Amino acid sequence: MNIIEIKGLKKDYALGKTTVHALRGIDLSIEKGDFLSIIGPSGSGKTTLLNVIGCIDFATEGSVKVGEREITSLNDRQITDIRLHKIGFIFQTFNLIPVLNALENVEFPLLLMKKHSRGDVKKKAEQLLEAVGLKDYIRHKPAELSGGQRQRVAIARALVTNPDIVLADEPTANLDSVTGASILDAMREMNRRDHTTFIFSTHDANVLKYASHVIKIKDGLLSKE
Amino acid sequence: MNLIIKIAWRNIMRHKGKSMVIGVILFLGALLMTVGNGVISGMDRGMQKNIVDGFTGDALLVSDKQESDNVFLEFMGKSVAPINNFEQIDSALKAIPYVKNRLPIGKNFAVALNEEGGTMDGVFVLGVDFKEYFNFFGNNLKLIEGALPTDNTKPFVLVPTGWRKQSGEYYSILFTPDGVTPDTSTLGKEILDRMSDMTYKHSIVYMGMNTDNSTTDVRVPVKAIVKYRSLNTIWGNFPILDIESYRQCLGYFGAEEKKTVVKKELADLLSSEEESLDNMFSKEATVAPVTKSKILSEGSLFVKKDTVQSSVDLNAGAFNIILLRFKEGSNLEKTVATLNKDLTDKKLGVRAISWKKSTGMIGSMAVLIKTSLFVFVMFLFFVAIIIIVNTLSMAAIERTSEIGMMRAIGARKGFIRSMFLGETAVLSAVFGGAGILVGILIVNILAAFNIPTDNDMVQLLFGGDTFKPFLSVLDILLAVVQLVIVTVIAVIYPIKVASSITPLDAISRE
Repeated sequence: MNIIEIKGLKKDYALGKTTVHALRGIDLSIEKGDFLSIIGPSGSGKTTLLNVIGCIDFATEGSVKVGEREITSLNDRQITDIRLHKIGFIFQTFNLIPVLNALENVEFPLLLMKKHSRGDVKKKAEQLLEAVGLKDYIRHKPAELSGGQRQRVAIARALVTNPDIVLADEPTANLDSVTGASILDAMREMNRRDHTTFIFSTHDANVLKYASHVIKIKDGLLSKE
Repeated sequence: MNLIIKIAWRNIMRHKGKSMVIGVILFLGALLMTVGNGVISGMDRGMQKNIVDGFTGDALLVSDKQESDNVFLEFMGKSVAPINNFEQIDSALKAIPYVKNRLPIGKNFAVALNEEGGTMDGVFVLGVDFKEYFNFFGNNLKLIEGALPTDNTKPFVLVPTGWRKQSGEYYSILFTPDGVTPDTSTLGKEILDRMSDMTYKHSIVYMGMNTDNSTTDVRVPVKAIVKYRSLNTIWGNFPILDIESYRQCLGYFGAEEKKTVVKKELADLLSSEEESLDNMFSKEATVAPVTKSKILSEGSLFVKKDTVQSSVDLNAGAFNIILLRFKEGSNLEKTVATLNKDLTDKKLGVRAISWKKSTGMIGSMAVLIKTSLFVFVMFLFFVAIIIIVNTLSMAAIERTSEIGMMRAIGARKGFIRSMFLGETAVLSAVFGGAGILVGILIVNILAAFNIPTDNDMVQLLFGGDTFKPFLSVLDILLAVVQLVIVTVIAVIYPIKVASSITPLDAISRE
């Protein structure tokens, strides 16, 4: 079952008087439970593709379905709700709310959903932080955590809503190899356990061995390997 | 809501510098507003109390024929219509439970004649039975020179310092009671510099002015120089005459005329029909029938001509205004309305007006000053709003990554709006609230000092002879409402900026 269906996706940016064709016509289907890696050089369109899939950016042309829903025709509120309920994000650098501690950061999406009791929210957030090895750091603010610990908090937060898809943009880019490996191990473990679809972009060839599928993108066009 | 307040508070603490800038502006604005409200309310209360207690009473009765309600301070207005039936009105007032006290007075325009040649300026004069006046107002006059009238003193005029100063400055005439050395402290520099030019006068000739041109000149001795204890700047131009001199001056038939014992034959003659009078001079003289007759003078309208008295009843003559005090706790406007209904039912030919209406602009002065202060403070708040808008907008742009990330993980625009509103509301509540509390404290401390003043102009600002700022619950609520308005206005644009930040903006910034 495909969780993402992309057909004829094009994305153009205006850069001064010129137009940059970031994506030139992408057709892509991603199955539920996939652990997909998108690779390519800088400026190839990896992040743009992730952003469109994650409803952060909008297609200039083409069709993008997340789940069964065509997202190109939705309004801001509907798009936001898809991001909240269906998608988890792990960003490369900007990842946590600075004024909230680790536990509160993980609780944040659940509190936005307003579906769970305060006790359930806390319990679930604590469980996830424990799962990513941060049981002893739940009261620490982001500034008091290392880069790896922050990414682990981001993973916990991305998973706390039980999303269908987790998007990670170069999740190990700023981490040392050991920490990067542990992050990927954690992601892979959750992929296996919960059948959550993971899509991540990377430059790092060492990361590729974790992927079940790899997509190569170059100049806004992709080829599946 | 807890989440929003939590994030708001922590962001305030995280950006202490910006928070302090906004906080201090809100604190000062709220403080200024609260203290300003306190001062103006105190002035308002003081002025009301001093006008009511020292000059007008709570309400006034004027003749139905009186056109304008502004009977005290309408400078270019017509003369105040006379009330002819005070005794009848007085009986009715005694039966009205909410009326505590009453004082009939004469009040009209008169010209002081300058015996050195020409006239002096016109002046509003009051005519009173001083015993009744003292009973009604108590000790509202401060004696400067001479002596206050006793029961039997008449005629007299009590010259207030304001009018004496004016006469000295413009006409070089210095009124003093006979045999008294002027108190120089009330004269002012201009008169003191020209003391050698001053002509001392111990009596004044007033020529009343009314619409019937039936006035006469009356000379009254200066019994005392007085100063109204409060708001002398306003009331210090109202000389007080004994009521009989006043009536004579204005051409009213006074109570003295009623004292005359009229022989039966003369009484019959006075009451004869005009036709009968003609008959008396005809060849066929007959005894004139005793019937009602027309009386020739305006003054005679005010006396029952068939009454024969052996002592003076000042209440029997004409007045212009009846001042009233209501019982404690009476609502002014409601009581005046009730009184008017009662008076209409009794067909007494008078109507009641509140003291505020009777003093024209003075009664509204506090409202005007309050409005002016409100506009001034709102201007300050406007400046504050611009600074706050600028600071918050900058803060929103600086927090693009944080806001964009919140939006990326599912925070709606409404959440971002609430977050910013929450931050400003917390700042407003903490700093603005502190401003209001400190303002209340300052107002109460100032009030506790009971700062007195004898200066006429400062008395105007104080609303009396003591600086007594006061804050009502309504004033405090007004300050809170203004604070809320400022907060809401100040946050509109920054909210727009913050809620328009997209996750993509955050990524682009990174």
